Amino acid sequence: MYRARLERDFKHWIDKGLLQEDAARAMLAEYDGRESTFRAGRVLLMLAALLLSASILLLVAANWEELPRLARVAGIVALIWGFHFAAAWLIQNGRTTFAAAALVLGAAAFGGGIALIGQMYHLSGDAADAALLWFVGACLSALAFRSAAMATAAGGLAWFYFGTMLTENGFSTASDWHLWSVPVLAVIVVLLVRFTEAGRARHLAYLLVLSWLGWLYLDSPSLAFAVGLAVLGLAAFLAATLPGSPVRQLALEAGSAPAFYSFALALLGFTGLQYEAVGVTTEVATGTGTLLVALLGIALAGAQNGAVRYLGYIAFAGELLYLAFETLGSMLGTSGFFLISGLVVACIAWLVIRIEGHMARTRQAEVSQ
Amino acid sequence: MNSGASTRRWLNPLLAALLVAGVQTAALGYMIESRASILRSGRDVLLKTVPVDPRDLLRGDYVILSYDISRLQPELFKGGLPTQSGEVMLYVRLAKQPDGFWTATEASFQPLPVTGDSVVLRSLPFSYYPSPSPLPLTVDYGIERFYVPEGEGRTLEEARNAEALSVNIRVDGKGRAQIREIAVNGSPVYEEPLY
Repeated sequence: MYRARLERDFKHWIDKGLLQEDAARAMLAEYDGRESTFRAGRVLLMLAALLLSASILLLVAANWEELPRLARVAGIVALIWGFHFAAAWLIQNGRTTFAAAALVLGAAAFGGGIALIGQMYHLSGDAADAALLWFVGACLSALAFRSAAMATAAGGLAWFYFGTMLTENGFSTASDWHLWSVPVLAVIVVLLVRFTEAGRARHLAYLLVLSWLGWLYLDSPSLAFAVGLAVLGLAAFLAATLPGSPVRQLALEAGSAPAFYSFALALLGFTGLQYEAVGVTTEVATGTGTLLVALLGIALAGAQNGAVRYLGYIAFAGELLYLAFETLGSMLGTSGFFLISGLVVACIAWLVIRIEGHMARTRQAEVSQ
Repeated sequence: MNSGASTRRWLNPLLAALLVAGVQTAALGYMIESRASILRSGRDVLLKTVPVDPRDLLRGDYVILSYDISRLQPELFKGGLPTQSGEVMLYVRLAKQPDGFWTATEASFQPLPVTGDSVVLRSLPFSYYPSPSPLPLTVDYGIERFYVPEGEGRTLEEARNAEALSVNIRVDGKGRAQIREIAVNGSPVYEEPLY
């Protein structure tokens, strides 16, 4: 993990005389003192909470036939109240990790309650509606307790809602209302993440929007939509990374996410364009466009942004292989498959080594200035 | 991730617990009561079930119910059909037949008035796509699922596929329906209490 790598690097720098030993010790102490650092105990506790949540849900699925219905409802309501008040008590005693686990269990009990009631009373309503209700309950908990763990859970439930909508309602028969609610959920998750300082959980929301756009395209593929995605992504990416752009500084302060997700959106659009392209000439033209976008991404943001760099490499390699098989593959047969793969991978390796070397030299030059 | 500094709190934790547990309980209560109110005040309607295709797809612990009123023939439609695709609901007028079962006599995309002894049932929302020639429509009413204890689903599915299953529903003034009783060959096997 990062802690072990940090310690190893510090040792290396101390040996080289780049860093004072007491400074390194102070930095490590500061890192260990942070609330957000990885602790095995904390992670295990969350895992335990998730396992217990699963047991609640399974208990519901088993449907406790011996108990009368109202007793079962009373049981699940008691769990909801019990877990939330346990969380409140734990927060007041400063045991925030246990409190977070209790909140997750409380949310699981609420989800179990929705499933239990739907099952006992034969409510054959929409499964997506039930998932939405669960999401709203989790959001309320994240908001009221200002809980990062619950904001993360809400992010997961937004994904669960999206998944339920696709599987239960069929790929293309989801109602308009459900269709357009996905980005709204993502916005809510981002707001909750900011409010609760849940940090990395925001990626759940960004990825949800990206997948949703991808699904919208698959649902009704059209050239205009693919062009729209590509143009929108490219414009956002350029705004975030082009030197001289007014919002560049703002995007850089927000971390690597703005550049990465706009780049991913542009590539999604180009993947759509590739899908729309018919005939060798158009295919090669779109493919070249995709390759250029991948290189542009690496050139503009690859130096500071590892995520953009690797996505750029992957897109470049994928596109090159695709183009090679579309144009040459059919002529060469199975042995040609390996020939092309080998040549293409060798080209990419050469390119990556050049780019990485160039970037390392630039960084060294910046330091020595 | 979760720094417990009291400066971050904006709500007393006990109040937060009261709010969250209270609202979640109210939501569950609403789910139960909205069904119970239909059963309490609705009108009785007896429906015939039809076999479901594929016949032996055991759906976990619930039985899929399909009715003769689930598939509506084009000649039943009164009033205009939507000209654009979109989300719609269908209103279906049911009338009692001499054999005691109720069948659809009229269907419309606009609300139908309740007249005489008839009952108007409202479908769940669904996506409608206009077609050049009128086609039969298959709709759901929210009474297509019946959960049974593990292992008992088979018997009901066999009865359903032998067309020996009848379902008694109650329909409220807004056209919403809930299952009240399931009978095989006329004798009740599952009777649904209010709660």
